[in-house]
Amino acid sequence: MTIDASMRDALLGAVPSLRAFAISLSGNVDRADDLVQETLVRALSHIDSFQPGTNLNAWLFTILRNLFHSEYRKRRREVEDADGVYAARLSTQPEQGARLDLEDFKTALARLPPDQREVLLLVGASGFSYEEAAEICQCAVGTIKSRVNRARTRLAQLLAVESVDDLGPDDQTRAALQATG
Amino acid sequence: MAQKRAREVAEDVVPGHVPPAPPRLDRNAQARLGEQLRAMYDDLLQQPIPDRFIDLLKDLDDIEKGKSTGKGTTG
Repeated sequence: MTIDASMRDALLGAVPSLRAFAISLSGNVDRADDLVQETLVRALSHIDSFQPGTNLNAWLFTILRNLFHSEYRKRRREVEDADGVYAARLSTQPEQGARLDLEDFKTALARLPPDQREVLLLVGASGFSYEEAAEICQCAVGTIKSRVNRARTRLAQLLAVESVDDLGPDDQTRAALQATG
Repeated sequence: MAQKRAREVAEDVVPGHVPPAPPRLDRNAQARLGEQLRAMYDDLLQQPIPDRFIDLLKDLDDIEKGKSTGKGTTG
């Protein structure tokens, strides 16, 4: 399979999602962009192993995730992750009053165990189904579901989210967070 | 670590196994977390694509064009 204009456009079109995932995963924009770059290079050089008609984004996310984890394991041996370093990186963007909630959220997200953070990003934010997330993470669907559950509960603990009765149920957003697809 | 793996395997493999799951969040709490997660993500999605990626794929395009010209396809 050659890389025609439509494939090139599809790859370019996937960049914003890949970056959002990589930035949220690594907490570092420069590192995230390196990950995206390496993902595109690998994808281009292994384009023959992509099966046309299957989900290109899922394929690209799988590559990016694998790169992230192999790099993470390497770094981990070099430097022990100091608690809060990731959170600090994520919070370096300028704060505005209205963004405070979001900053709290980013900090809490950063404190999730990596396996929980990544499934929440895949299912709750990137719009992948549990099945696609399982494929990307190369694990069972049940594992994804339980990680998502743990991630949500842990986040709620970190943010001390309480039930607010007067908000009323919002099935649409609830469904989106649960994101069965 | 090994313990954690064993637990996850049990969740996946054993039929009817109920994981020592955290209590379910009520729907409002879930909705609020979902909103915040997507708000954070939308900010990131709306960032412009850095030039390095556009250049990377553009270079490729040029190479492909060069190749097909080189082949001298008749049409």
